[in-house]
Amino acid sequence: MSKPTADWEKVGDRFYRKTQLYTDVFDQDLELENHVIAGAPYSGAVALYRDEDKLHAYRGTQTAKPTIDIYSCAGKLIRSLNIDKGIVKALGWSEDETLLVITTDGTVRCYHNLQNDFTPFTLGHSAEEHGVRACRFWLSGFVALLNNNALIAVTRYDEPRPKLLATPPSGDVASWAIIPPAYTLSRSVEVLLATGKTIYVVDASECEDRMLENGPFKHIAVSPNGNFIALYTDDSRVWVISSDFQNRLSEYNSRVKTPPKDMQWCGNNAVVLAWEDEVHMVGPNGAASKYFYDSWVHLIADTDGIRIITNDVCEFLQKVPDASEETFRLGSTSPASVLLDAVDLLEKKSPKADDNIQLIRPNLDEAVDTCVKAAGQEYSIHWQKQLLKAASYGKSVLDLFNSDDFVDMCETLRVLNAVRFYEIGLPLSYEQYMRLTPERLIQRLVNRQEYLLALKVSDFLRLPLNKIYVHWARQKVRSANADEESICKDIVHRLDGKRGISFEEIARAAYDEGRSKLAIELLDNEPRAGKQVPLLLSVGEESLALDKAVESGDTDLVFYVLLHLKKKLTLANFFRTINSRPMATALVEASAAYGDRELLKDLYYQDDRRLDGSNLLLTEALKQSDSQHRNDKLKVAAKLLQDSREHTFQVKAIDETQRLFRIQEVFEKDLGESFVGLSVNETIYKLIKSGNIKRSQKVQSEFKVAEKTYWWIRLRALISRRDWRELEEMSKTRKSPIGWEPFFNEILGAGNAKLASLYIPKCTNLTVPERIEMWIKCGLITKGAEEALKAKDMSSLEMLKNKATGNAVHEIERMIAQLAPSRR
Amino acid sequence: MAPTATLDASDITEKARRDLLQLLEGVRGKKNLVIEKSLAGPVGLFVKFSTLQEYGVDKVFFLENNNVDSTQRNVIFLARGEKARQVQAIAEQIKRVRRESKQDHEFSIFWVPRRTLVSDQILEETGVLGEVNVAEFQMYFVPLEKTVLSLEMDDAFSDIYLRRDPTAIFLAARALMLLQKSQGLFPRILGKGENAKSLANMLLHMRAEEDIDASSDPSNAHVHSFDLTPSATIDNLIIIDREVDFPTVLLTQLTYEGLIDETFGIQNNQTEVDSSITGAAPSQPPPQQTSGANSQAPAVQPPAPSALKRKILLDSTDKLYTQLRDANFAIVGTLLSRVARRLQSDYDSRHKANQSINELREFVNKLPSYQAEQASLKIHISLADELKKVTNGDLFLRVLEVQQNLAAGADPSTVHEIIEELIARDCSLTTVLRLLCLESCVSGGLRQRDLEHFKRQVLQGYGYQHLLTFAALEKIGLLIPRVSAGAGAYLNPLANPSGAATVTDYNLVRKSLKLFVDDVNESEPNDIAYVFSGYAPLSVRLVQCILQKPYLAQLTNPRTAPAANSQPSTATASGNWKGFEDVLARIKGPTVDEVQKGHNAAASQARKTLQGSGGGQVKTSIVFFLGGVTFAEIAALRYIDGQLGEKRRLIVATTSMIKGDTAVGAGMEGRSFKMR
Repeated sequence: MSKPTADWEKVGDRFYRKTQLYTDVFDQDLELENHVIAGAPYSGAVALYRDEDKLHAYRGTQTAKPTIDIYSCAGKLIRSLNIDKGIVKALGWSEDETLLVITTDGTVRCYHNLQNDFTPFTLGHSAEEHGVRACRFWLSGFVALLNNNALIAVTRYDEPRPKLLATPPSGDVASWAIIPPAYTLSRSVEVLLATGKTIYVVDASECEDRMLENGPFKHIAVSPNGNFIALYTDDSRVWVISSDFQNRLSEYNSRVKTPPKDMQWCGNNAVVLAWEDEVHMVGPNGAASKYFYDSWVHLIADTDGIRIITNDVCEFLQKVPDASEETFRLGSTSPASVLLDAVDLLEKKSPKADDNIQLIRPNLDEAVDTCVKAAGQEYSIHWQKQLLKAASYGKSVLDLFNSDDFVDMCETLRVLNAVRFYEIGLPLSYEQYMRLTPERLIQRLVNRQEYLLALKVSDFLRLPLNKIYVHWARQKVRSANADEESICKDIVHRLDGKRGISFEEIARAAYDEGRSKLAIELLDNEPRAGKQVPLLLSVGEESLALDKAVESGDTDLVFYVLLHLKKKLTLANFFRTINSRPMATALVEASAAYGDRELLKDLYYQDDRRLDGSNLLLTEALKQSDSQHRNDKLKVAAKLLQDSREHTFQVKAIDETQRLFRIQEVFEKDLGESFVGLSVNETIYKLIKSGNIKRSQKVQSEFKVAEKTYWWIRLRALISRRDWRELEEMSKTRKSPIGWEPFFNEILGAGNAKLASLYIPKCTNLTVPERIEMWIKCGLITKGAEEALKAKDMSSLEMLKNKATGNAVHEIERMIAQLAPSRR
Repeated sequence: MAPTATLDASDITEKARRDLLQLLEGVRGKKNLVIEKSLAGPVGLFVKFSTLQEYGVDKVFFLENNNVDSTQRNVIFLARGEKARQVQAIAEQIKRVRRESKQDHEFSIFWVPRRTLVSDQILEETGVLGEVNVAEFQMYFVPLEKTVLSLEMDDAFSDIYLRRDPTAIFLAARALMLLQKSQGLFPRILGKGENAKSLANMLLHMRAEEDIDASSDPSNAHVHSFDLTPSATIDNLIIIDREVDFPTVLLTQLTYEGLIDETFGIQNNQTEVDSSITGAAPSQPPPQQTSGANSQAPAVQPPAPSALKRKILLDSTDKLYTQLRDANFAIVGTLLSRVARRLQSDYDSRHKANQSINELREFVNKLPSYQAEQASLKIHISLADELKKVTNGDLFLRVLEVQQNLAAGADPSTVHEIIEELIARDCSLTTVLRLLCLESCVSGGLRQRDLEHFKRQVLQGYGYQHLLTFAALEKIGLLIPRVSAGAGAYLNPLANPSGAATVTDYNLVRKSLKLFVDDVNESEPNDIAYVFSGYAPLSVRLVQCILQKPYLAQLTNPRTAPAANSQPSTATASGNWKGFEDVLARIKGPTVDEVQKGHNAAASQARKTLQGSGGGQVKTSIVFFLGGVTFAEIAALRYIDGQLGEKRRLIVATTSMIKGDTAVGAGMEGRSFKMR
């Protein structure tokens, strides 16, 4: 077994290693130099596209059609996409392995999940007008540079919203790069444009000149963590500066006349320059190392290193991780390295193994941890095993040790080794895997249609399996040639009893393939009513969709279907559809009540809901400001109900309304005051208040207002106009239909105690104590006492005595005396 | 109520706060916020205006006012997206701002609580969807108190009962589903009423769908978080459909809090009273009382200069209020003077001779709390005074007389005269309608002749536009003509075929559940009936049917009391309707009783064991009022909670707070025939 340090190289004071991942990557006929290449992050797929700007040999007609070919890192062709329209200007990947293809006219196509079908969107008018020149991508978005130097940013792909950034100065852009939003102070994407001798920093709102004088810069590259910027100057130097342009960190002179064709970061601490078949790696402080290849070289930067791809090999260049360096470095005396040595000795059955252990005893736990970490960084299965053995040996000596990390690492390595296998071609490093997450790894496997492996890995990692099944089923729907019934049967049979299967997704795939019947059939197995709705609408099963929406209980869905239906159906058909579904009708009514009154009218007419129809007219009458229109509306409202017997009350009431208006209009003319809008009682009140008793009586008789009611209104009106004289007059009346107590209360409430007291004797139906209370309220204690005396109520007298002042006291004492003897 | 780690209201508050601020942070730079009026209050419960300012909010506008200006580049809309109207209003404002403003604007819409298909469709049709950032602000339950959760959907009552629009029910199901996700399944769902049934069905439905949703949702990578095992802490969910118990809403609440709500109105834990009553808010707010009032209120209206009205915060941060809120108003005066005396004596203690320095320091330390208490005492005394004026009024007593008679089951015709008098005296229409509706509800509708008589009186007294009011009230089912037995399904086209009663037989129910307690003790409550001075709310009695079986059995039938006592086990058994099926059959609407079991029996068992054998566990019952709950009912439930002891706690959840005026107001026609 070769030493793990065999492919290490010291650059400056750091070690870098170049791991050969795969050999025989591409067919030797494939002219890499004539291709544009883009690699998905986290060791994902690689997309190749023939560079239109370069000449290439004529190969007959069959290849004339341009395609984008997607390969795995091991060079296995995954898919070939036909590009029938437009000239491809840029290729890029998002974090979830969505391929983005941008053509000159600003059309962006998102190919999700490595499939043939795409969702397009456009960068807008200006892109169409000026044409896209180039694009730069980050994990979740990209920036497009137009031919007029304008910059357009897209920050998300699920709801793309192209945004124009601040306008940069015109002039030839020598090179450019972006800093992803996650790493900028402003939290929006920033673009670095090398124009003339300087660099401009452009964000959403402003464009700032950084005042550099060493340009033009041939290349700009931003480190993965956004902290550093590498610049390639015209005099073939590489500068590394901090991303705030404050510090120059290192400089390197490549001494090569031709500028490199590419410059990328390798992790966060080295810059890689690539010429046709030569690669320079510049470490910190300008130290460098050179690599030479036999054929054309492409660089694909990743978060923790860089992939170098030629026709023959795919290599991964990275800084040696700390744990590995600690363990393997020549002459290392770190505990981990000693532990590794110990396990070697143990295998040789040498007693020295224990000596080693004793040597590092105090740091043993640390050594075990380091070995576990280092195992994660190894690509060689042999060394993974060796390191894990060492860790296992070490932890067996420890009394207390949490083995979780160890177990996790064993699991992780199993997964990593499985997906690194050349037929799968996902050479994930440990760090990339951690960033990618197991769930998305499964997604990648599924995208490559490695269902078996995906199932096994999911099972192994205890992840849900349903998505894999669904994906399988969708693929089957797309590709199977069998008749629809048997496909459906097959899918349902295979997925029977599996938890969490979304048949809606499968059905949608069938629909997208144009197999509507199959879609409906599959949809039948979907347990979620709501999910079925949009698809049912697409296939034209509107009333079924409405049923499902109602079943889901989600009013939003019902509304959605209703909007759809209303547009599509004739009014009569629309009503017929909703008629049998009360919830739908209720929703139509509720929403129409605020806007579409005509619709409501038609609905009521259609359903013969006369009362509702009449009420609708009433509300309209309420809105009218013109009396003529209002009366018309009222008339129609009454007419609607005329024929039916059950609504006689309603009809009468509407008639009365009109009658009231007529009378009120007359009053308005006669008295010059406004009456319309008042109720019957209010009209009477107002008339009495203004002294028009006669007229008020006319209203009373006209509308058959009860005598009691009339008296109450009269009382209130008189009080409000402080007509004490009339009220005094009334006290002389013999009978009141509402009794006399209200008179007392109201008058007293209005503050006229004297007048109120007039009514006390008339309240004959009240008890003596109640009447005494009334006298007290009026402040007439003596009177109260007389009342008590008459009733021979001694206790009340005593009570009154306590309340009385001045003369009244004597008076009451006299009465007590008067009453007292009779008691004896 | 015992503190537990489970279902903590403050978690909900905190999450809502975090979510909103995160959304605001997502919009770079200064921004103008346009908020729907009905959301302003609830949002104010968990975010202060100053906090919003810290997050870059410059000015706040009400959506309804349609006056957002173009002073800021960023404009944010915060609104409910369920109704097309709202969406249209937003679309129009966006268009207006775009038209009028010279600069470019960045628009964002945060839909509460979810982004709807309809909103997308409308925005698309109006051509603004492409230029707005749309996000969801998932605010469902807003805790009003530790044990009171509200969805704060003001329109819920009219939506459900008048317009028969079940949006509120669906959103309630969503909200409960979220609770289930964090707490585990409700082991048992009980309920009464047509809408309770559909809510329960939706919950069962959603649970089945959740399984698939969780796994097909790409953002939710860990399906295992929702294991579909029954909750170990929540015992059951009791859903009370408001329709089952209208009378309780229609009666005047007689607890302190209830009366404040009836008189001044309480919105989002705040009441607004004339400053002549309580005195203007002090300009410097040292005590908690005023600081609460100042900092909560302006969440939306930046420093309200209104000197005429003063906002008062009413929640459990005010210790004095906590003692008063649930008391019957009759004894509030006594309670207040007791507190006043105690404060006085505490305060006087400073004059005690020969105090040590330590004692003095202690006293000084307590001073701020004295001051706070004193300030709060002052406010409550003036509030109580003002209420006293109302309750002593002639009209109030008249109304109460009618209510008590109707609640006690007296012949309705005896009260007709008083109602007529009230109409003649031009008493407020809501009050009159509440009485009429109350009569209709307790006696299964008004006789046709009486109904028409009163309709005429009201139409003449308050205007003919109220023809519409009556139509609406009939639709809601508040004021209906009596129908002879036999013609069952007259009212509701959705009437269920299950044979459940469509009208509650109050005379029977009153007896079997003892809805009216004659010898009620207001100062030392011995039954929930104290909240209405005699009438025990049916809704709360239904809860008692589940949680306090022996008590209720003893109450309704004293002779069987010993028997009930001999089987205390029934009290602890997982709640069900057992023993009360007969009564329930006579109450309107179907009865719900669903048991939810986990998919995986072993997992549920394991979870149970992990949580301890249930012995020391506090069991929670959630009582969900669909269509609103009154403060009096909450008081009654708090009383029950106290009776149930430490082992069990009640949480009240609702679509919104409600009182009789709101219920009747839902149907009331606001416009008149006045010429404009």
